[in-house]
Amino acid sequence: MASTLFRTIQIHPFLLYPTALFSRRNGVLYCTMKSSQSQTATQEKQQPPKVKVPQHALKKTVDKITRDYEAIIGIETHVQLSTLTKAFCSCPYNYGSQPNTSICPICMGLPGALPVLNSKVIEFAVKLGLALNCKLSLNSKFDRKQYFYPDLPKGYQISQFDIPIATGGYVDLDLPLEFGGGHRKFGITRVHMEEDAGKLLHSGNGAQVDLNRAGVPLLEIVSEPDMRTGIEAAEYAAELQRVVRYLGISNGNMQEGSLRCDVNVSIRPIGQSEFGTKVEIKNLNSFSSINRAIDFEISRQALLLSEGQGDQIVQETRLWEEGAQKTITMRKKEGLSDYRYFPEPDLPEVILTQEYVDSILKSLPELPEMKRRRYENMGLSMQDVLFLANDMNVAEYFDATLSSGADLKLAANWIMGDIAAYMKNEKLSINEIKLTPKELAELIASIKGGTISGKIGKEILFELLAKGGTVKGLIEEKDLVQIVDPVEIGKIIDKVISENPKQLEQYRGGKTKLQGFFAGQVMKLSKGKANPGLLNKILLEKLNAKS
Amino acid sequence: MAMGSSRALLILSNFKFKPTLPFASSSLKPFPPFIRNNFRTRNFSAKTSSSLPPPDLPRLAETARISLAPNEVEEFAPKIRRVVGWFGQLQAVDLDNVEPAIRADTEGDNLREDVPETFENKEALMASVPSYKEPYIKVPKVLNKE
Repeated sequence: MASTLFRTIQIHPFLLYPTALFSRRNGVLYCTMKSSQSQTATQEKQQPPKVKVPQHALKKTVDKITRDYEAIIGIETHVQLSTLTKAFCSCPYNYGSQPNTSICPICMGLPGALPVLNSKVIEFAVKLGLALNCKLSLNSKFDRKQYFYPDLPKGYQISQFDIPIATGGYVDLDLPLEFGGGHRKFGITRVHMEEDAGKLLHSGNGAQVDLNRAGVPLLEIVSEPDMRTGIEAAEYAAELQRVVRYLGISNGNMQEGSLRCDVNVSIRPIGQSEFGTKVEIKNLNSFSSINRAIDFEISRQALLLSEGQGDQIVQETRLWEEGAQKTITMRKKEGLSDYRYFPEPDLPEVILTQEYVDSILKSLPELPEMKRRRYENMGLSMQDVLFLANDMNVAEYFDATLSSGADLKLAANWIMGDIAAYMKNEKLSINEIKLTPKELAELIASIKGGTISGKIGKEILFELLAKGGTVKGLIEEKDLVQIVDPVEIGKIIDKVISENPKQLEQYRGGKTKLQGFFAGQVMKLSKGKANPGLLNKILLEKLNAKS
Repeated sequence: MAMGSSRALLILSNFKFKPTLPFASSSLKPFPPFIRNNFRTRNFSAKTSSSLPPPDLPRLAETARISLAPNEVEEFAPKIRRVVGWFGQLQAVDLDNVEPAIRADTEGDNLREDVPETFENKEALMASVPSYKEPYIKVPKVLNKE
């Protein structure tokens, strides 16, 4: 990662990813700038002047300042596992259930209750560790992380402190093309198992606790501080989402809370080896928030440093305010937390055998990175690759279409174009559309082979998507076979010409644009079945034939 | 219940000494206090004689959320020091040729299948909650996570 220039993200309307929303509103950016001159006591009491600067001008200033700094970004991600039961008890977990309906003495932390580990948690942890190219600890343990908070029934969280189940991995990913593209590799420090706390809701002058979520298994993924920009961080998070969905271990949904990211950002002047002060940012609910929050925080820190106010950057936790589009200080913590970790006495060691690990490795599906490389090697463009490999179901559909014999590029185009548009309009996933991969292959073959015209193909696509059925069936039922016999086309053209003498005269008088009119009439008469190429060729001949 | 033995461990863990206790060795670290995820290396036992600094009892009580009157602090400090001393006797054991264990016991996994089971007696559960306003558990407002 030698390149350290901070590049402002260009606003781009076209978005490839359904899941990653990268839109930024055009508008005026407010910024507070402290006057560089020394302030008198009275001046200091006043609010620093709020300067209204047009966005593009401000971006240029910010660009110039941040160019001197390198951002060091690390991300801590919590993945809520989609097991049927909680980590240490058999309570089921369903997002959105009535509060406190899925609880028992164990997850409530009542005296005498003992945790029993859900075997699926280990399986999912091993899957993720392997998918992230980590080294697995065949022997690991649980520890108690102790602190007091109303949503933590036991007064401690069962986690893994010094011997996590997986360490030292990495992710490979490709940055979206609209942000410059490029391949990246980011390190993963560790992956460990732990349990979730309940939900705390503030109300009035007290608070309310719902323990449905207490005890739900989580995997915490800590990245190496390898990211350098907001977009790299956002794409890292998106790749984690892709991986957990491919593996089937989590919904990976940021909005629902099954994928949570906390970001650590610090900056340092380019060339300096010491790290700057690290700031943690919480309350990030989407990939675009991750992107924008980091960009904002880099700018905030760079501005302070460039004005000699680096001491204003303190190690703290800030919240991202989606409405105001800025980070704000959370209550400053006094001192660092002492969690008094010690090994969880109520749980035995977690022991993995090499056979167990190998069997899970064998069962892993083709992961996003492998799929992207395979698609790239097949000859698809990067744009196609990123789209098709993003959603596992879309990739499967695409692969199935290909194995039914469809042409590579055409299959990609249909899926990325008309079919994706239909899914977006009807808010359906690719598993819910009625068109099967086999029939899509059939459709492509029919058009390619000339049985039906491209235009007709698009028309019946809609019906196939909505109602299903077979291509051959529809062609027969609606009599859609393309007319490619020149004699037959000639007859229709003759009829049209004879029925429109006035237009014919106008055409021959110089209004050559009327060819379109004739073509349209021929199409109409042939019920859209005339082959367009032949039509126009013969039409032109006939129109220009007589003097 | 397991809570009893762990409370002793709790008190122990706050002291600034390098323990040679096999089951507590790896996760304890003297000051500075633990910072999440920064702990990378394991502390292996060092055969130092235990010249233990006195425990910071007020801080200990604060972290355990136990209120102590000043006279109690005075009374308890030497007692706690003595308890630590008892455990400290284990330092005399020669562990030079013993591999550090991850945990105390050697029994294997105790795992459960991922099969849901609803706990039926919800009334009993909620009856033990001091302040329950259906469907939530009411708690006082807490400003800081510890």
